[in-house]
Amino acid sequence: MLQSTILKTNQLSKYFPGVIANENVDFLLYKGEVHCLFGENGAGKSTLCSCLFGYHKPDSGRIELDGKLVKFRSPGDAIKCGIGMVHQHFVLVDDFTVLENIIVGTNSEKWTLDLEKSENELRSICHEYEIDLKFNSLVRDLSVGEQQWVEILKSLYLDAEILILDEPTAVLTPEESKKLFNIIGKMSKNGISIILISHKISEVMQADRVSVMSKGKLINTISPKDTTPQELTNMMVGREVTLRVKENKDIKTTTSSKPLLSVKKLNYLNKYKKFALNNVDLELRSGEILGLAGVSGNGQKELFDALSGNLVPDSGTIIYDGEEIQGKSSRYYMDLGIGLIPDDRYREGLIGDFSISENTILGWQRDQKYNKNYFLNHKYIKKFAEDLIKQFNVIAPNATVPVNYLSGGNAQKVILAREFSHSNKILLANQPTRGLDLGIIEYVYEQIKLKREEGFAILLASEELEDLINICDRISVISDGEIRGTVVAQSTSIQEIGLLMTGQVETVT
Amino acid sequence: MIRVERRIEVNNSWVIIMYLSACIVGFLLTSLLLWLSGADISKAFYALYKGSMSNQKTILNSLSKATPLILTGLATVVAFRAQVWSIGQEGQVYSGAMSAYMASLMFYGLPVWIYLSLIITFGALGGALLGALSAVLKNRFNVNEIISTVMLNYIIIFFLSYMVGGGPWTGVGDQALIYSQSNPVDDTAKLPFLFDSKKLHFGFVLAIVSVLVCHVLINHTPFGYEIRAMGHNSVALKYRGTNTKKTLLYLMILSGAIAGLAGVSEIFGTNHSLRGDTLVGLGFTGIIVGMIGGLTPIGTLVAGVVFGGLASGSVYMKIIAKVPGTLVPTMEGIFLLTFLIAGVASHYKIVGFKRDV
Repeated sequence: MLQSTILKTNQLSKYFPGVIANENVDFLLYKGEVHCLFGENGAGKSTLCSCLFGYHKPDSGRIELDGKLVKFRSPGDAIKCGIGMVHQHFVLVDDFTVLENIIVGTNSEKWTLDLEKSENELRSICHEYEIDLKFNSLVRDLSVGEQQWVEILKSLYLDAEILILDEPTAVLTPEESKKLFNIIGKMSKNGISIILISHKISEVMQADRVSVMSKGKLINTISPKDTTPQELTNMMVGREVTLRVKENKDIKTTTSSKPLLSVKKLNYLNKYKKFALNNVDLELRSGEILGLAGVSGNGQKELFDALSGNLVPDSGTIIYDGEEIQGKSSRYYMDLGIGLIPDDRYREGLIGDFSISENTILGWQRDQKYNKNYFLNHKYIKKFAEDLIKQFNVIAPNATVPVNYLSGGNAQKVILAREFSHSNKILLANQPTRGLDLGIIEYVYEQIKLKREEGFAILLASEELEDLINICDRISVISDGEIRGTVVAQSTSIQEIGLLMTGQVETVT
Repeated sequence: MIRVERRIEVNNSWVIIMYLSACIVGFLLTSLLLWLSGADISKAFYALYKGSMSNQKTILNSLSKATPLILTGLATVVAFRAQVWSIGQEGQVYSGAMSAYMASLMFYGLPVWIYLSLIITFGALGGALLGALSAVLKNRFNVNEIISTVMLNYIIIFFLSYMVGGGPWTGVGDQALIYSQSNPVDDTAKLPFLFDSKKLHFGFVLAIVSVLVCHVLINHTPFGYEIRAMGHNSVALKYRGTNTKKTLLYLMILSGAIAGLAGVSEIFGTNHSLRGDTLVGLGFTGIIVGMIGGLTPIGTLVAGVVFGGLASGSVYMKIIAKVPGTLVPTMEGIFLLTFLIAGVASHYKIVGFKRDV
């Protein structure tokens, strides 16, 4: 097959303070291909795409489109040249309709909107790609998968010839992902070139070609047909990785049968009057990890908020050691010894402009330990933080750098360090490994397992079903705010959990 | 093209260079304005110097003018560090002055030190009350603090106008009615002068003490930690067990109390009778002072003294160099802008001059 190059970068480099984001990247995109960018977090995939989309200006190197040198000053320039991008976090106006969202900002030359004409154009695009969307519904009423279609339609409406998708399936159910790949297939048949950023090896294998990135460099570009998933993973990490730590689960016998924390019939209506939590029942036991499987946005956040005192449920009870504690303040929960690793680490877990040492006492700044006669004991706090940095292997020049300057993995370690050293009974971890490198993921799981051995009751939510099966003792499946079933990790399979998620079987142990 | 990069760690000498540049650019722009207004530039600056720091008398006068500005600037620092955009310093100055005046009527006759302490305490309470009101409105009804503080400013300013312009506190005699002022306060209610100067008074001591207290509070106490944390990421602070509503209430009480002291200082230290016109703009100028001070107490002290000097020197500029009086607030505005730019620039560095690739 004759391949014509549509986009090419030549020795592209981009540096951020203290970080090599991209260095001498030679990237080649053929017309009509699905090209996957594969690599760990911080490998430079997103930076490369940001350069291609005009968000960042490369520090050196060239970008050629159709053989012509291009310089994008802004994403607007890139869009004009037929490049579209769908971000991980959608850029949509919730209170606009689908149609309004798609045409917003597209016909800046005219003073009036020709909604009918746009709608007809869109209808034919939708028909072509078998996308079923009601143009008049508000975006906030759409499912996450449908919102993504809106983003894709936006690019198609603007006649994009190159479409960049940044981890498109991170927020989708398996069913929605399948549909997305159908659409991607059709686009590629129509001659649209697709750049797909992904962590997931199963998606990578569906691409026409894969470029593996590591530490800002493009390591290799190959066709998945000529390689194996294992080989690709090794290439990405630069070493052998195995996550499958099959362990002896003898510890389970020591698990107390009496739950330390039990949740009964918890209900919560969110602001859109949908059930975010629907009759949730859970039991956490000391020395046990309970997994919470499900696509994010199905009530995990609300459940964790309720269990950490950051949300008052509409009804139901939370019982800790025989005491009803629902509706108490987050302070109260913390003082009971309940640690929390929130899913949005920079928003809820850290204060970005604060130093590492200040972050290690966040929430315990009034603790006697850190104060001497009403004043913060800076010396003690610094020493405390330095010890934690050593203990948790945080890579940082010293304890006074703001956590904003740490990589995602190291920032997460700061949260782990803080929560581990201030809690002693229960650990709530919501997506603790999201967006982290494989090496750090291993580390986080190791730490969590250590806590189980210390007798913590742990609730661990994740989208990575395989990891849950490997680590947890029991797994509850959550979907639409409901617990669809709880299974024993040792005797379950991804298929069974997947079926529970889609509500096709009922299993309760 | 010049390339700039954000600094990971602040370099002190760079910061000093930036702020010095801000001063120079500010003076250049001011000179331009002076030139446009037809004034003799060198004469104008000489007058500024003469009126602000040429001898002990003018220096003390500058410090006396600086006193309320340091206090309102501090009030700004406390609120803005938490990203609470309180514009209520103006009103809090008025309410501080009024409740202090009320105390001076209520407790007349008590031993002088107790009398003065009560006046000062009531002044702080008056400002604190107004600050607390905005905090409660925000905590209870989610009323934006900018709206509530601005509206409360109006209410309290007109309330004072009424009280001394026909209301129960109006002074005796035509003079008092014309100028809308109260009877002079008793001699025992006057804040004592420092250095026998008849200019600089005890209010300056209050300002210096407040600066030190705020400095320690913000940087070395858990409450200060919470104020700073709230400014950077209130969600995380709340998530990890701090009652941010309480933090907001307390910091608004503190901010209001400090602004209230500015009112006490102006009325009982400088003016010696309650009147609205001498209080006009102290709160708003305090916002500029706090911002130029980089939202730090020490910086605010320096900025406050500079602004006091400007205020004191401007009188001489008007008389000697025939510079329009409105030029001083314009200068303040110019310096605010150059200092804000310097504040941002001090967090960046130039990494090289490079041709656009």
